[in-house]
Formats: sequence, structure tokens, C-alpha cells
Amino acid sequence: MTGTSTPTLHRAASVPDSADGGGRRGPRRPPGLPWILPALVLSVGLIYYGIGYTGYISTLDWDGISPGPEHVGAHNYTRMLHDPVFWAAVRHTALFFVLTFVVQTLVGLTFAVLMHSRIRLAAIYKVIVFVPVVLAPAIMAPVFRHMFAPDGELNAVLRHIGLGDLAQPWIGQTSTALPVIMFITIWEWTGVTFVLYYAAMTQIDPSVLEAARIDGASNLRTLHSIIWPELRGTTVALAMLGAIGALKTFDVPYLVTIGGPNYATEFLGTYIYRQTIPLSHVGYGAALSIVLLVVALLMALALQFAGREREGR
Amino acid sequence: MRLLPVLAAATLALSGLAACGSNDSTETDASTATSGTVNWWGWTPTDTATANAYIAAFNQKFPDIKVNYKLVNISDWVAALRPALASGNGPDVFDMQPGAYVAQFKSFAEDQTKLAEDALGAGWKDKVAPIGISGLSADGKLTAMSVGSVYAGMLWLNGDIFKKYNLTAPTTLAEWKHVCSVLKQNKVGCFVQGAAQEGFDQDTLQSIANSVQPGLWSKASTGDAKWTDPGIVKTLAIWKDLFDSGIMQEGAVGYQQYPDANNDFLTGKYGMIMMGTWYTQYATTKAMTAALSAAGVSGAKPFPILPAAFPDVAGAGNTSEMYGDADFGLAISTKSKNKAAAETFVKWMATSSEGQQAIADQLNDIPSLKGVEPDFNKIELVDPATQKGPVEDLITKSGAITEPRESLLSADVQTGILAAATSVATGKSSPEDAAKALQQAAEAAGVTFK
Repeated sequence: MTGTSTPTLHRAASVPDSADGGGRRGPRRPPGLPWILPALVLSVGLIYYGIGYTGYISTLDWDGISPGPEHVGAHNYTRMLHDPVFWAAVRHTALFFVLTFVVQTLVGLTFAVLMHSRIRLAAIYKVIVFVPVVLAPAIMAPVFRHMFAPDGELNAVLRHIGLGDLAQPWIGQTSTALPVIMFITIWEWTGVTFVLYYAAMTQIDPSVLEAARIDGASNLRTLHSIIWPELRGTTVALAMLGAIGALKTFDVPYLVTIGGPNYATEFLGTYIYRQTIPLSHVGYGAALSIVLLVVALLMALALQFAGREREGR
Repeated sequence: MRLLPVLAAATLALSGLAACGSNDSTETDASTATSGTVNWWGWTPTDTATANAYIAAFNQKFPDIKVNYKLVNISDWVAALRPALASGNGPDVFDMQPGAYVAQFKSFAEDQTKLAEDALGAGWKDKVAPIGISGLSADGKLTAMSVGSVYAGMLWLNGDIFKKYNLTAPTTLAEWKHVCSVLKQNKVGCFVQGAAQEGFDQDTLQSIANSVQPGLWSKASTGDAKWTDPGIVKTLAIWKDLFDSGIMQEGAVGYQQYPDANNDFLTGKYGMIMMGTWYTQYATTKAMTAALSAAGVSGAKPFPILPAAFPDVAGAGNTSEMYGDADFGLAISTKSKNKAAAETFVKWMATSSEGQQAIADQLNDIPSLKGVEPDFNKIELVDPATQKGPVEDLITKSGAITEPRESLLSADVQTGILAAATSVATGKSSPEDAAKALQQAAEAAGVTFK
């Protein structure tokens, strides 16, 4: 579709329109602006205007309601540099991204490879792996709160199998609260990783795999030398999605641990909410939002660049 | 030329969107003093059954005013109310609490001084609890009429558990530890607290501070003493001891008071909980049964709860005095289009003897209007033999309390208190360091210290 329409558009663009719009030879230039205008108005009007307005608010000391906000320049940004909770949120986000991405990649890839082999009841397994993706975190949060409670199901199982010494208040202590949030996220999103890898594997030329078999490559060697390199584009895309997802993380830590205990599961998203809504520091919250936006853009660019670098080699 | 109709259509669409988003600023009252619809938003009463009981009593006198109560969890209160009020499509009447909420929402609240004068006369201030006026006044206006007050700084006990194990309410830290050891030996939880929520950590800390040095907490709140005062450091050290000695339940800093701790206590998993006078309602069979149902216990038998003084945990011989605020006042939104009916509702709830009697009989609040007391002939307690005396004593004692609970603290200072409490509890900070951080947070929040 794209291959046939693009040259036509190029040709049309080279033909000047007459003033009355008629009497032209060849295909007429499609009137593009009116068609994209609604989307353009919405995009510029809502998204970019919103970003610009947030940037403006980030220079204010404002509670979001008072009629006379005070201009404080870059104070909200310099305040961030000395805010230990902000830096804790950044550390949590970085750690969260690295661990969830690595584990999701390993588990998702494993599932995808297994599903491509001839196993029984594969369709059922696919559904089971993907179901968590469609379950709303708001529905699952109480379940996980109960599961990881001191008298919850996890500790009950541990005690039942003689591992009672390992039972602990999982979301009630700083050392285990963040790993629990990571576990929930991995459980929730591995289905997406699996689906994307599974789809990407179907694009690998079977003759290449067959050639590898004929050459005597083992399963692991085939996975390492053929399948994994072919999936590089998918992996980069997943890394980008994971990085942006980590930066946007809000629902699971807010619903399960409220960012606690003692800020142990505070993320940039939850901290922006905490500052903006309960504490009414709308200016500071806006500054945090702008930093979040910049970091997200930089990470996306860096990952994209890294992906192209490798493809170029 | 073809561009024109598209642009016209886009302009029309945008103007339509703008019209949807705009607010009609014309102030027209769609209600009268005896008819209309009033939307009331609140975090308390915490169960809609209690609110509907108030509304039913109100409708006996004003049948043509329909009141819709919307319960919003207190943790979502600010997030829900602020945009609602700002948009002009929010509630006509909303709950107001002394302290941070008054500071945040005073600009959206009508001054109710005239309403109070109309209802109770020029000497209205002498007819209501003074604690309900000072905390709800700001910038020279009465932002809300106090409906009732609540007081904290006490424990509630599960009467059945204490009776079963032949225990009495602890009066010292040593006795508290002993009670907990007995209960734990019998595989029963001792004390449950939602230490992830600042309001309830403040209650426990203020009670400990009142045991260490009465009045010190209020002084630190107003800036008359520093949060680094040795008494506050000792308070935090005792707080830490509650965790280390096993009085606090395991994982307390990951618990919320509502629903976690509340549900655990009501389902009989723990023998004690830190709640205030608002918990008196669960001394009744009706409210206890409803609460058990809400906690997910079907067919459970209500058990008697008993109020007990907070133990003298510092061992200094100081009785840990209680403290309190107006639980909630009812504010009328400046953007309400049903002000006449809203005023009738607020007036009835806060100033009429019928409304205040309904408040008193629910045992959720101590009524604001002086001279109104619960009618225990109409109230069915779970176990009148053990509960009636302590409950009546609690209500009588509450009337004399003057120490503020939260009204002196801003949201920033409350956040600082939570950070200090959880960092000490988790061992991340020493009491001294946490007190210093709290002092810095209070100074950053604008509190001026002497």
C-alpha cells in the first residue's frame, strides 16, 4: 500500500495547483491540511500546550488554587537537587527498569521459544501468560496486598512447607517492598514481552534455522547465534517501552504500598502525585514532571541510538 | 475554498468543546429553603448507613430536600475535592476538618457566621463547643459549622479477648508488653496500627509525648518548642520500642489504619487498636454488625469493644491526656447552585437539637451543640453490662478536652512527622536524626520557632 501511494504523492506535489483548483493534468494534490487539522489542533492544543503550561507552572510557587502564584524562577529545579526523596525515586526507577527489563526479557523469551516448539496445550499456556496484561492493577492491588501481608498467602505457604523462617512482612519493610513491586510488574507485563518475541520469531526465515540444524547447531547455539540476533529490534523496542514505563510507574506502588514504607517504593510518578495533590506543591510537582519528560525523551533517544548503532555494525 | 467549510467545522467543534468545558458563572439558586437537591461529599461518616440515618432524620422535617451523600476515602479526599470544587460541578456541601483542609479549601467555603447567628442568635458561640469554632475559622470567616468533635489518645480493646485471657487494660509500658506476650503465647495479635498513614502515627506519637511531657507536642506544633527537644527525641525512642518489643504488629509500617488495621481488629485478629472517640459507634450492635459485614466477615457475632486510657509509656507518672478537634464541619461551596437548601441542611445538622441528637445517638461524634447527649435508652450496646459505664465516662471526659489534635499542623509538617515515624520504625534513622529532619521539615514549611 505504502509502496504504491508514495510515488503518486511525490508526483502530485510537483504539480502546481491552479488558482481555481481545476484544469490540472494528472492526479490532484490531496488537501492534507484540512484532514490533519483536527488532530493537529488536539495535539498542539492539548498535549503541547499542556507541556508548555506545565513548564510555566514549574517556575511558580503555587498550590494550584490561589489566585496569586509567586514566580520563583528555577528554584523548584534547584530544590530538586537537594531533595533526598527525589533522588531515592530516581534510584528506584533505575533499579526497577534494569531488573524488570532483564527478568521480563528472560522469561518472555523463554516462553516464546517454548511456545514455538511442539508442546501440548500451547494455546492455553499463551492465554495464561497473557491474562495478567489485561487485568487492571486496581483490581489486582488488593489481591497482592493480601498475598504479601504478614498473615497472607505467601507466608502461609512458606510456613506450610517448613520455610517459616523466611516468612516476613513483605510490603511492610523497606528491604522487600521494592522487590515485591518489581515482582508484580514482571507478573503483569511479561505477557507483552512474550507476545512480541513470539511474533518476531515467526518472522525468522525457517531456512536459516534449518541450515543451522543441518550444520549441527544445538538448540542453545541456535538460540544464541541466530534467534537472539534476529530479535534485536524487538529487544530495543521492549527496552524503550520498559524505560518509559518505569519512568511512568505509578499505579502498582501507589495502590500496593503508597510509595512506602519510608519512601522505599517511591517513584517519580508517585512523588509527583504526592507533591501535587496531597501536599499542594503544584509548582514543584510541575518541575518534577518536566524533569520526568526530559529524562523519558533522553532515554528513548539513547536506546534508539544504541539500537541503530548495533544494527549498523 | 474547500478549506473554509473544514475550518468552520473545526471552529464549531472547538467552540463546542469550549462550551462543554466552561462553567456557567451566573449564580442562580435552583433550590429554596424547603426544597431542592443537596449533594454532600464527605470522608466521614465513614459508612454510608450512618450518613443515610442522618439524612432520613433530616427528611422527617424537610421531606422535599433530597440529600445525596457521597463517601470519599480520606486518602483520596484532596485529589477528589479540589478539582470538583474548582470546576463548579462539585458538591454543594462538603466536610471540612481543622488544619490542613481548612487551609486548602477555605477559599471555596461560604462564611457561615450569619447562618450561625440566624440559627442560634447573637450569643451562638456560647452554645456550641469552642473547639469547633477556632479550628474551622480562617481569614476572619467561619468556613464550616462544626457538626461534632472527635478526640483521640486512647486505646480500644476487644472485650472478649481480654476476658478470655483474664487480662486488664495496660497502664504502663511494662504492662503493655506483658499483655502482648500473653496474647502472643495464645497466638492472638496484640496491638494493630496502620503506621503507613500519618494521621494515626501522629495520634500515637502525641499520646507518647503527652506521657513524656504533657503539652510538649502542641508546643512543637505551634513553634513554641523545637521538634529536636529532648522530650520529642524520647517520644521517638519510645515509639521505636513499640516496634522492637513486639507491641506493634509485624509489618506495621506497611499497614494502613483504614482498611487494614481496622479490618484486622474488627475480625478479632488483634486485642487492641489505637482509635479515637469516633470508634464509640462500634460499641453498638448495629454499627458493629455493619462494620463486620464491611470487613468481609459474614455471620460474625459482634463483640464488645472497650475504651482504655493510653498507657503511661514514659513511666513519668503523667496521665496521657487526650486531644481532639472538630471531627468535621459542614462547609457550603461558594459555587453551589443549591445554597438555600444546603443552608437548611447544614443548619439542621449543626445547630438543631434534632440533628445534633441524631449525631449524638450514632456515637460517631461528640455533638457540637452544648447540652445534647446520647440517649442510651435508644442505643443498643453489644454488652451493656461491660460497655455502658466506660462509654459514658469517655463521653463525659471528652467534653473537657482542650488540646488540639491536628488543627495546628500543616500538610508539610504532617508529612515530616510520617517520615520521622517510619524512618525510626524501620531503623533508617535514630530518634535524634529523625527529630532533626522533622525540625528542618517544619522550618521549610514556614513554621517560626521561638
